[in-house]
Amino acid sequence: MAKIKLPKSSPAIDMTPLVDLGFLLVTFFMLTAQFRPEDSVIVDIPSSRSQLVIPTENLMTVVVDSAGRAYWDFTDKKVRREILREMGNRYSVSFTPEQEQRFVSLGAIGMPMSQMPAYLSLENATERGQMDRVSKGIPMDSTNNQLLDWIRVTQLVFSSGSDGKNPIVALKGDGNVDYSVMNKVIKIFQSPTVKINRFRMITNLEESRLSVSASTK
Amino acid sequence: MADIQTGGGGGGRHEKKRAKRSSTHIDMTPMVDLAFLLLTFFILTTTMYKPSTLQLTFPVPQDEKEKPELQKVANAMTVFLTKNDQILYYRDAFEPGVTQLTRTNFSDITKILIENNRSTFEQVQELRRRYNANEIDQLAYDTLKNNVEKRDEALFVIIKPDKDAKYRNMIDMVDEMDITGVGKYAVQDTIKPAEQELLEAEKLKF
Repeated sequence: MAKIKLPKSSPAIDMTPLVDLGFLLVTFFMLTAQFRPEDSVIVDIPSSRSQLVIPTENLMTVVVDSAGRAYWDFTDKKVRREILREMGNRYSVSFTPEQEQRFVSLGAIGMPMSQMPAYLSLENATERGQMDRVSKGIPMDSTNNQLLDWIRVTQLVFSSGSDGKNPIVALKGDGNVDYSVMNKVIKIFQSPTVKINRFRMITNLEESRLSVSASTK
Repeated sequence: MADIQTGGGGGGRHEKKRAKRSSTHIDMTPMVDLAFLLLTFFILTTTMYKPSTLQLTFPVPQDEKEKPELQKVANAMTVFLTKNDQILYYRDAFEPGVTQLTRTNFSDITKILIENNRSTFEQVQELRRRYNANEIDQLAYDTLKNNVEKRDEALFVIIKPDKDAKYRNMIDMVDEMDITGVGKYAVQDTIKPAEQELLEAEKLKF
């Protein structure tokens, strides 16, 4: 019997669909990726099963780290610049355009106003990190309540640019910080000049507790 | 020497000029390499970072005189959060000398809250089941759940973190409210002297 001859197939495979898909994914990831602004503060946030997502704009965040230091953050870049100028006016501190630009591109800031120009002059992130480590955060004592001023100025600047609306307020605290420290911040939120009685607390989604098992009945 | 004009002499008759046929296949390997390198880089460096938030509304601060006495609300439960993730609680109004604090922790509090709020919890579970089975829509579910949780017979929880409590404890407790279907709750930082005394005595036993 004659051997069955298999048709000789070419060893080259058409890679076009593979390449198409590859480039599609590359394009997708490159276009959708957003670089996270450098964080000057590391916070271990507590978890909850709330699925309410955090807004990405018009959001003012007050961060409290494990040492109880307060930081301030705002999402919109244009507003940030105006807030810094207004804070500079109030505390008689002036900033160069370079310093303003650096402030706009940074994330959460935890510096007293007196050290702010020196902090914003540092070009190197590691140098800023060193300064962050020794900083006491934004002062929030009753005699020198700069945190209250940051919140007040944020409200004023934001509402003047958006028909009197108020920014969304979030509190991001380290889970291991004493509640008395957070209570101090909440009291500042509720003070008569800013009147924030409704705010959000940033938490991690806790998957394991999403369903209450029947055994708890 | 290199000669380009081969048919220069005019001898051949079929000397039509023909463009050299180059292959239509391009070697795409380097391009594909690069594409996948980029793809791998972006996939590996991207982290999905999306924290969620817990909405909390605090009562508007008022003068001490105008403040309603929360303990007089029927069906109240006052929960103290204290050191080492411990919880102390009592039911209803505070009566000096009579009220005793019961000690528990975060793994048992779910059960205790459900026991104290059984009918509400069961109704909320029933609503959740109907919502999951698509019998009611989101809006109806939210409205019905709100009605059940806010009715008069439902449990009212007052959360009082003391000076030794951690922020995490407060978040866990507020989260627990959602798990056990408690719609009426408040976070308060005022601990009355009589309560404080009882609390300190209880804490010595830890």
